[in-house]
Amino acid sequence: MDLLTLAWKNLWRSRRRTLITLAALTFSLMLIQAFHNLSYGVYSSMIDSGVRAGTGHLVVYQDGYLQNRDEKLSFDPQNLVAEIGQIDGVEAVLPRLYLPGLAQSSRESRSILLTGVDPVHERKTNPFLRQLTDQQWLLSLDGREAILGSRLLKELQLKRGHKFVVTLQHSSGELVSEMFRVRGVIKTGIKSVDRSLLMVGQARAAELVGTPDRVHELAVILKEQKSGHGVFPFLQDLLEGRQDLEGLTWEKAMPNLYNAIRLDYASQKFIFVIMMMIVTIGVINTLLMSVMERFREFGTILAIGASHAKLRTLVFIEALLLGVVSMVLGSCFGALATWYLQAVGIDMRNFISGSLEFGGVVFDPVLRASWDLPWMIKISFYLLLLSFIAAIYPSIKAGRISPAAAMRHH
Amino acid sequence: MALISLKSVTKIYPLGHQEVVAVDEFSLSIDAGEFVVLAGPSGSGKTTLLNMIGCLDQPTRGEIWLDGHDIGCASQKELSDLRLRKVGFIFQDYNLIPVLTAAENAEFTLMLQQVEKKQRRKRVLDLFSALGLDGLENRKPSDLSGGQQQRVAIARAMASGPAVILADEPTASLDSQTSEELLLLMQKLNEEQGATFVFSSHDPLVISHAKRVVRLRDGRLESDQ
Ligand SMILES: Nc1ncnc2c1ncn2[C@@H]1O[C@H](COP(=O)(O)OP(=O)(O)OP(=O)(O)O)[C@@H](O)[C@H]1O
Ligand SMILES: [Mg+2]
Repeated sequence: MDLLTLAWKNLWRSRRRTLITLAALTFSLMLIQAFHNLSYGVYSSMIDSGVRAGTGHLVVYQDGYLQNRDEKLSFDPQNLVAEIGQIDGVEAVLPRLYLPGLAQSSRESRSILLTGVDPVHERKTNPFLRQLTDQQWLLSLDGREAILGSRLLKELQLKRGHKFVVTLQHSSGELVSEMFRVRGVIKTGIKSVDRSLLMVGQARAAELVGTPDRVHELAVILKEQKSGHGVFPFLQDLLEGRQDLEGLTWEKAMPNLYNAIRLDYASQKFIFVIMMMIVTIGVINTLLMSVMERFREFGTILAIGASHAKLRTLVFIEALLLGVVSMVLGSCFGALATWYLQAVGIDMRNFISGSLEFGGVVFDPVLRASWDLPWMIKISFYLLLLSFIAAIYPSIKAGRISPAAAMRHH
Repeated sequence: MALISLKSVTKIYPLGHQEVVAVDEFSLSIDAGEFVVLAGPSGSGKTTLLNMIGCLDQPTRGEIWLDGHDIGCASQKELSDLRLRKVGFIFQDYNLIPVLTAAENAEFTLMLQQVEKKQRRKRVLDLFSALGLDGLENRKPSDLSGGQQQRVAIARAMASGPAVILADEPTASLDSQTSEELLLLMQKLNEEQGATFVFSSHDPLVISHAKRVVRLRDGRLESDQ
């Protein structure tokens, strides 16, 4: 028998109260861990599909292109595509050319963003292109086949196989036109994209405007989204000799997505903090009640020779035991919940019809959790810390008990 | 030098705007090995005196010396250390810790003194057999009779071998037969182990067992026989 066992036994004096407190602590830790992991999983997949369709996990631009999207700011990648492709962790490097222009069918005309791509690699990485069959995909870098956004196709009143004319501004300032044929259609679910997307081979597009070999963007797709910050320095090294170019991470290149995620997570964090606070108040209440109930007993313990410090320690140990037990239980349940949310997930199609768009990105309708172990450990220690903090006031109370007065107390 | 000596001790409690003089210019000295009863009507200051001797409270005026320590001048920390090493307490309502077994209760002060587990268990078992508590080591207080609980309390008070054992009306919650048994036990411990006992009581039975009776009235010494 020592202070630890005494504290443990004391906890079970008021079994129901202790169980309720433990349940509150455990349950909130479980919820917080599970929800965090769910968001973590959803954000990760959102980021991944977002960057794969968008700028890539890392991206290279001519200085200033990101700010004003001026099509004059194109550059010659020289060996960069191959060199970046050599970096460990890089899945693909996608050269892209973006040219605003006009598309005309025999009936309608619409403004478009002509995107010149590398047909082979683009298809492998861009999640929206996976819906296309071989017959619907661009055949070559310099062919006259085009992929259109579904809405654009409709507005131009075209069908697959139809021809239409694209008019662009040549680098010399003159207007140039070229005939393309509709090869495939993609539907991303993002209105602005579906309305203006027009994808063709990069070489054909570059030649059309008189800037062969030039691109606006090198989108770097990584094998793993999380490794972005590890690969980035290597990219920077490669760009050392190219003063005109800048390398960016997706957070900088896609600020809309990044901020949407941050905002979403901030509101979640706020709820976590409130939950933790409520639970802490509950723990304070439990500890305070148990100290008050034992007023006379604490007087006895002091009378027979325990110091006030011992008494305070006892209260702290009781709180820490509550914390440790709920930390372990909560983490177990949190892990269980995470496992379920990862394996089964939450199918949003049951709740929402249509595609799910967030921060300009369409994501998988089945929300799935992903393990963020360091965070789970961190938050469970926060819980322990909170139960420690909750013990401060009750232990001060216990430390102020005057034994003589407590002994008179009935 | 006496084990306990009180010199013109006065204890005044503030009570609202008034003051209550609980102990008034009280002097007394008790030697090691004595078996003393502080007797007096309710409110005469018995508990107040015992609390001061037991380092739970400090005098307003006067001096109290316990085994060479000046209680009036001691800090809180020193007081609690004195309580741990020099004093054993027995209370009217036993005041055992309900979640601990009889033996664990009796071991409590030894645990506070960081005596090794085996050693303290041995000491407590010896006391238990002296107190007729054999076989009750693992009972919870709630499973013991009042007399048994008070005997466990005596074991707790004696376990660390304190200089003095203070008992504030130890028999007030017990019937006369159990009280008698308990008193005989304490007398035996006093005679055989030389433990010093100071009681407070207004029970004639307790008074009849005492070697020395100190009578109080209104916080003053009335007689000392
Ligand atoms: N904390 C206190 N505050 C105010 N007055 C007190 C306090 N403690 C004791 N007193 C008063 O001091 C006087 C002596 O009280 P004390 O408890 O020492 O008497 P007692 O002899 O032990 O009485 P009893 O036989 O009823 O236990 C009483 O008048 C009591 O009301
Ligand atoms: Mg009294």
